Amino acid sequence: MGGTRAEKTVERTQGVGTPVRRVEDRRFLEGKGEYLADLNIPGVVDIAFLRSPVAHARLKGVHIPDRIRNSVVLAGDIAFAKPIVAVGKAKGFKYSEYPPLATGRVRFVGEPIAMCVASTRAEAEDMAQACTLDLEELPPVWDIDVALRPDAPPIHDGWDNNLFVTTEIKTGDLNAVKASASVVVEKTMRMARHAGVSMETRGVLAYYDRRLGELVVYSSTQFPHVIRTILAQSLGIAESTLRVVAPDVGGGFGIKNNFQPEELAVAALAMKIGRPVRWIEDRREHLIASPHAREHRYRLKAYADKAGRVLGLEAEVTVDAGAYSVWPWTASMEAGMSAGIMTGPYDIPVYHGRAITVCTNKSPLGPYRGVGRSGACFAIETMIDAVARAVGRTPEDVRIENMVPPTAMPYRSATGKLYDSGDYPEAARRALAAIDAAAVRARQARGEPDGRLIGLGVASYTEQSAHGTAEWVARGLPVVFGYEPALARFTPDGKLILFVGIQNHGQGLETTLAQVAHEELGIPVSDVVVRHGDSSVSPYGMGTFASRSMTMAGGAVSRACAILAEKMKRIGAHLLQAPVDSVTLADGKVSFGAQSVTFAEIADAAYLHPERLPTGEEPALEANAVYEPGRSTGAFSYATHACVVAVDPGTGLVEILDYVVCHDCGTMVNPLIVEAQVVGGVAQGLGTALYEEIPYDENGQPLASTFLDYLIPGPAEVPDVRVLHMETPSPHTRFGIKGMGEGGAIAPPAAVLNGINDALRPLRVELSETPVTPERILDAIAAAQENAR
Amino acid sequence: MKIPISLVVNGATVEAQVEPRMHLGDFLREHLRLTATHLGCEHGVCGACTVLIDGRPARACITLAVTVNGAEIRTLEGLQGDALMETLKTAFHEKHGLQCGFCTPGMLVSAWDLLKRRPDIDEREVRVAMSGNLCRCTGYQGIVRSILAAADEAKTAESV
Amino acid sequence: MKPAPFAYIRPASIAEAVRILADGKGSARPLAGGQSLVPMLNLRLAPVERIVDLGGIAELRQTRDDGTSVRYGAMTIHAAFEDGEVPDASNGLMAHVAGRFAFRAVRNRGTIGGALALADPASDWLVTVVALEAKLHAVGPDGRRVIPAEKFVLGPYFTSLAEGELLEAIEVPKRPKTERWGYCKVTAKVGEYAESMALALVDRARGTARVALGATDGAPIVLPEAAASALRGEAAQSLRETIQRELVAAERDFSRAKLAMHATTVFRALRDAVSS
Repeated sequence: MGGTRAEKTVERTQGVGTPVRRVEDRRFLEGKGEYLADLNIPGVVDIAFLRSPVAHARLKGVHIPDRIRNSVVLAGDIAFAKPIVAVGKAKGFKYSEYPPLATGRVRFVGEPIAMCVASTRAEAEDMAQACTLDLEELPPVWDIDVALRPDAPPIHDGWDNNLFVTTEIKTGDLNAVKASASVVVEKTMRMARHAGVSMETRGVLAYYDRRLGELVVYSSTQFPHVIRTILAQSLGIAESTLRVVAPDVGGGFGIKNNFQPEELAVAALAMKIGRPVRWIEDRREHLIASPHAREHRYRLKAYADKAGRVLGLEAEVTVDAGAYSVWPWTASMEAGMSAGIMTGPYDIPVYHGRAITVCTNKSPLGPYRGVGRSGACFAIETMIDAVARAVGRTPEDVRIENMVPPTAMPYRSATGKLYDSGDYPEAARRALAAIDAAAVRARQARGEPDGRLIGLGVASYTEQSAHGTAEWVARGLPVVFGYEPALARFTPDGKLILFVGIQNHGQGLETTLAQVAHEELGIPVSDVVVRHGDSSVSPYGMGTFASRSMTMAGGAVSRACAILAEKMKRIGAHLLQAPVDSVTLADGKVSFGAQSVTFAEIADAAYLHPERLPTGEEPALEANAVYEPGRSTGAFSYATHACVVAVDPGTGLVEILDYVVCHDCGTMVNPLIVEAQVVGGVAQGLGTALYEEIPYDENGQPLASTFLDYLIPGPAEVPDVRVLHMETPSPHTRFGIKGMGEGGAIAPPAAVLNGINDALRPLRVELSETPVTPERILDAIAAAQENAR
Repeated sequence: MKIPISLVVNGATVEAQVEPRMHLGDFLREHLRLTATHLGCEHGVCGACTVLIDGRPARACITLAVTVNGAEIRTLEGLQGDALMETLKTAFHEKHGLQCGFCTPGMLVSAWDLLKRRPDIDEREVRVAMSGNLCRCTGYQGIVRSILAAADEAKTAESV
Repeated sequence: MKPAPFAYIRPASIAEAVRILADGKGSARPLAGGQSLVPMLNLRLAPVERIVDLGGIAELRQTRDDGTSVRYGAMTIHAAFEDGEVPDASNGLMAHVAGRFAFRAVRNRGTIGGALALADPASDWLVTVVALEAKLHAVGPDGRRVIPAEKFVLGPYFTSLAEGELLEAIEVPKRPKTERWGYCKVTAKVGEYAESMALALVDRARGTARVALGATDGAPIVLPEAAASALRGEAAQSLRETIQRELVAAERDFSRAKLAMHATTVFRALRDAVSS
């Protein structure tokens, strides 16, 4: 069931829709958060990974000085650990293995080869430096074009080329569209490879708990239960003898949402040597060897009528997926997702899309906030602007006219997605009104006294969130994330513990899930504890990713608490000797008129005085639930971003003068948190648009390996972002919630690039590549000037 | 070869023998179990490790512990109870200035120093002055609002 | 990212420091503020056997007003310039420069001498001392000598300091009160290393002008023709052409984009100095 919030007979001051301040803030403000590197396990030894310095080579051997031979662990020493295998179900997906430590071949700079173990990290690094590698270098496959050449060496054994897989979506009659279109616009664009850069790097700490007879693995991860499953399989042990815990996690963004070779290697080592072992990723490792993001190339062709109405779209997306297929998403998820959302919020009935996933000698590419949607938005949104220019109309008008109108909901897109609800044109109109497009156009016409060029950039998207079984099955992953659980348990003193399977790492779920409990039970948020992140504590859940947690875990918490609410009423009514239908739950009490009984009294009865319970009522006060939205095809949040940019043609610098987001994520549980998620996402999107890039040279060497070369936006680069909210509830989720954690990062590359191109049009410059650095802008201006001569 | 050092950390004298290569961040975290100071990059860019050395903010990750022999160090733990710091923490809580919390200790120490030196700062100046502290979650808006709110609150408290 | 092991010594005097560095024959490195050296150590980019900590040498932190010039101790931290804690020979230019690079936490530890001795081509102090016609005072095993700023930097990370030589002071002649300066710096984002940086000093009363360009991947470049052209009051278009010509003639192999950026910063620094 779903839809709008139920009629409230009692006020819920901390319930769904209220800007409750975060419960989890206290420990972080005191500096008492406990991240992986803060854990104090006596006797722990530190690991430094010896990693490949070259992109592609046969690994003939590792020479280890005698004095440290027993401290260096090679693949053969943990041979019982099975390699990671992530093969998608699409036809033709090629099989490959990702070993925890390289065997036989190394395939990217930074690939782990050995573990050096010492009492301090510094000594472990000394050992790594003392080892030498016997490598027979092979030609590096450092680029998509190099990988696709007929003579390119296949990176994986048994492959005849460097394609993981190619998939296609074909909807409608493209030939008919080609015949009837007045306007054909073709564009190529690309986004650079970059890193995720959580402020806390990855890390794993593993030890054997002899009392419980289990291996304990702490990992800075977004999905501890799922890691437990795959880790147990890979180690060949029963899952009931393995505990995986995500402590406080300092940002994930998808980078910590994969099964990593380092997790497997460290866990295997802990099993083998029986001592606690710890690996803390350093920043250089993070930039080189954590999963990368975003490297997409696009070729799009839009067929439109004279008014700019797009009749059909052809798209080809090629993703540089790096050397290995990440688990569980597989190498092809990025390209597949992009091709699968390419028509965006538009009513484009005919679509042929091709998703090509290429293997290269680079760090594997994995999901990162927005995943394939950021690239797809980049492609279609720059395309819509181009179509508008081709027919001589404003991008604002053409955009809105092409959008799926609210009357068409639910709408089956040409990519096979089912958009559930929303008013895309209204969000666009509001964003444009807020940015005051007319005033921006007038300002452009006037010119700036400092010589800078003003541009207006707009981008819209729709985002599938909280998708369940149907969607994950369609994506062909090795696991299907179909639901979320919740266990709601009262303690005898009347407080509530919520055990959930998502993993909170900044999203405020320790607060918002308590708000849901408040909504159902009227229990003060301060009386609710949310426990998550520990496979031994919480029921089996899928973790936090794909903008799913609030919808999924919120739905499960709501269900479990609703069950408890009924029980509370029954017991409370009995204790008050009142009719069950007439009692209310609020402020931690069950009330009947002026009389009330506290949750503590009810819980005390339920656990320790069952003689006080009504006849037939079972003792104890806890409830389990699982939840999946009514439709598992996803709840679609959407937004239009609009920005005003000022480009300095003398320096190439871009300033964002104004940035507006009008978004709709259905019912908002906590508007304060929602707004901050949007702004945080926008900051990351600006990073993609203007700053972030890891280029590789022709030897396959990554050229940005520290923060000296790799730039992320700082406080002076991110403008004040104005966020306007619309709330069109989803018809299929509890309270009408939709997921929204990623949306902010989806549109900025398109919005900013559209703005820059709008600004530079008088100079006859059109850019189509991110990041749009000052060098690229100056170079394009100089090239246009040379062409004009 | 270890070198003996003696310094004051959060008001208490600490004596230890350290390798020259140990940086102050590791000394605080591993020797003294003061883990509020986080390591985000270990090359002086992200600011997560910001502490006060002789009253001035500095990056613990690129300060060798041996070079601060005789100095006075304050970490976030040691600023507990300080009036301005408590005002800042309240503001960060009210204005949602943190999400995952990893950059927060460094942010608070840098912001504390900033408001001490420049109590009348405006929004643009806050953004520029806090450039040495990176955050990946918030997009900085909540942080800037928190610092400005704390500045207002501190001025009000003073004029009372 | 932890450093390889090294030995550490903290001399109490310049003489002692010079002796240790000379004995070390290149395997000993001086440590000033550490804001550039310690990251390199953490990244294991700079193999070093011994670190010689200059932090205990009080003389290196002393600044003296000599009447016609100010002599700044090499270990003066950037924040001291920023906060006006040392006398200013430059009509405020040095304070302006010092408050606008890196971050406050770095400026609290990093030193002008350390930045100059490292000679990172993007370092703001490098172009500043060249623009201000400073004299760098060095001391080494063969005694003391004075190096004009323009002759100090030979290339990226490469100065004319000899093996075992240290910078002990930076002497900046007091600029005339009638002189005006212009500053234009481009960074990819606030606090980052300069992509281009130009400083112009124009004194119309005395008829002098000077402009220097830094962040050029090598030594800073002085552009006398551009300065003269600006002093003469040439129209913008003509001035731009002069700047372009002079930059190309410097034969630094700038990319098309970098050339455009440098031309912009030089022009704007001159324009600001002339019009202020």
